[in-house]
Amino acid sequence: MDGAHRPGRFATVSAWTVAIYLVLPITIILPVSMTDQRFLSLPKEALSLRHYATVLGSAEWLGSIVQSFWIALASTLLAVVAGTLCAIGCWRISRRSTDLIRGLMLLPIIIPSIVYAVGLYRYFARLGLLDSFLGVVIAHGVTGIPYVVITVATALAAFDPRLEQAARGMGASLGQTLRWVILPRIAPGIASGAIFAFIHSWDELVIVLFIASRDVFTLPRRIWDGINENLDPAMAAVAVLLVVFTVLLLLLDMALRRRRDAA
Amino acid sequence: MSSAGHAPSLQGLSKHYGSFRAVDDVSLSVERGQFLTLLGPSGSGKTTILMCVAGFVAPTSGAILLDGRDITALPPERRDFGMVFQGYALFPHMTVAENVAFPLRVRKLPTAERDAKVRAALDLVQLERFADRRPSQLSGGQQQRVALARALVFDPALLLLDEPLSALDKKLRAELQEELRALHRRVGRTFINVTHDQEEALSMSDRVAILNHGKLVQEGAPAALYERPRTRFVADFLGKSNFLTGTVREAHPGGFAIAVGATRVVQALDPAAPRPALGTPALLSLRPEKIALLAEGEAADNVVEGRILSWAYLGAGFALSVATPDLGVLRVTLPAWGAPIAPVERLPVRLGWSAAASVPVEEDAA
Ligand SMILES: Nc1ncnc2c1ncn2[C@@H]1O[C@H](COP(=O)(O)OP(=O)(O)O)[C@@H](O)[C@H]1O
Ligand SMILES: [Mg+2]
Repeated sequence: MDGAHRPGRFATVSAWTVAIYLVLPITIILPVSMTDQRFLSLPKEALSLRHYATVLGSAEWLGSIVQSFWIALASTLLAVVAGTLCAIGCWRISRRSTDLIRGLMLLPIIIPSIVYAVGLYRYFARLGLLDSFLGVVIAHGVTGIPYVVITVATALAAFDPRLEQAARGMGASLGQTLRWVILPRIAPGIASGAIFAFIHSWDELVIVLFIASRDVFTLPRRIWDGINENLDPAMAAVAVLLVVFTVLLLLLDMALRRRRDAA
Repeated sequence: MSSAGHAPSLQGLSKHYGSFRAVDDVSLSVERGQFLTLLGPSGSGKTTILMCVAGFVAPTSGAILLDGRDITALPPERRDFGMVFQGYALFPHMTVAENVAFPLRVRKLPTAERDAKVRAALDLVQLERFADRRPSQLSGGQQQRVALARALVFDPALLLLDEPLSALDKKLRAELQEELRALHRRVGRTFINVTHDQEEALSMSDRVAILNHGKLVQEGAPAALYERPRTRFVADFLGKSNFLTGTVREAHPGGFAIAVGATRVVQALDPAAPRPALGTPALLSLRPEKIALLAEGEAADNVVEGRILSWAYLGAGFALSVATPDLGVLRVTLPAWGAPIAPVERLPVRLGWSAAASVPVEEDAA
């Protein structure tokens, strides 16, 4: 905003401190990943890409990347369908009780994930879902729902309810109105929710530690094990790849938002 | 679908929000092919009535009939009415042609037939060249016409319009009023229009229903309402009016006289109308354009003297405020062309009007 007051010096300094604090751990990972040493350290004599080569040549790492990707994709699908339907349902009915339901749907990001993980562990043990692809997809999908509910509810708040009335006044059924009018209008919100749900699954560790052991070995889990067992710089390389991938997704989200705002 | 449009009617329609009566016992029937306007100040319940007819608002009590059939419980998508919403409610993610095609797509018309109808509808509102634009790339007047085309394309027997012209500037509004009127004549459907603009109501409608606080105050042809308002509210809302409050002093068939302070004001009366009782209070509505400036010695049924308090030049005429000893400040309008005087503040003037120029009206119920 051009006409706004300029921030004071204190505010400027604080903002930069916070920004640096947030970014620093990520920037340190980059040189570490290019170290010429055989353990986790800063490069000594030269920069090297051999740890990247290790990662991309290792069946274990690649297997984890692929597995993480499919889990994230499937759980995103679950979160998007459930979250979108829930948000639309609450919006249409719009009573005090639906506020409660919307609040309930946000629980997974309010409750500490370790509490959630303990609870899931007990139930999944009984259902035979421990250490299974399906189990992790369900766990990640359900905990990804809040992101979709939030973004879709926001998109719906900006949706002009007269458009729905107009559609129905012209004879459109509920399904037709949903397909031709409501969904196209809130698609950017759904896409945002999907991206966040994907990222959520992609770097989720705590739940996986509880409900998976040998068969399901996601990427964050392999990094975790790697740090505990040996200080292989390959982990730093993976971390950089993870960060790059996440940033790309966020850029995609921003691009989608910009397109929506321009429309 | 009937070719002359539906004849909807409201029977004792009420809509309450808690203890608040947004619509209060409104009964009204519209004839086939008629252009009816619901006129009232903001908040008088016009939109609520229209939404009840369209089926988006369920009435608290009362019924909506269509050609004699009760449709109160029919969902909106089964009513087959065309509707132009306040603010148009065009679909922003569709082109003009897609917007207009929407009701046809819903009805699963074959593509060729659909395209032909869309083209004909855009033709009707002169927007053929804009078929591929988005609503956001159109001016207000063009958007309004898209909304009209979309409402008319499936040939509904009843068209509902909620303040279709209120977002437009004055000149465009006058233009589109004429277009809408011509369109109504061409398609021959029943139109129910909502507005708070009295000029629009008078110029476009076959019939006007005036609402206040959710109640139907008076309805009738525009000229009848303007010339014979029943209450102070109607006289005041439909055009401008002076009000004279006095006590009845004489009454005979064909007229009566009231005393306003020391001034005697005579009022003509339809011989069939009941005569007011002597000594009762009376209220007269007198339109500013029905007061004339009298020359020296010129006579009229009613003559009062006063001084010009203030005046304004309006292009086509002058608007004068004249202070009189007994009648208070009277508003007078004169055509500017050939006006008998050049108005000057404090200029003494003689005002005159005929006994038939004013009308007795009722005080509004509190
Ligand atoms: N959903 C609602 N809940 C409560 N009050 C409402 C609602 N809809 C309309 N009203 C009230 O009913 C009255 C009439 O509204 P409306 O029909 O929109 O008036 P108009 O179209 O004549 O301006 C207004 O006072 C409005 O505040
Ligand atoms: Mg309104």
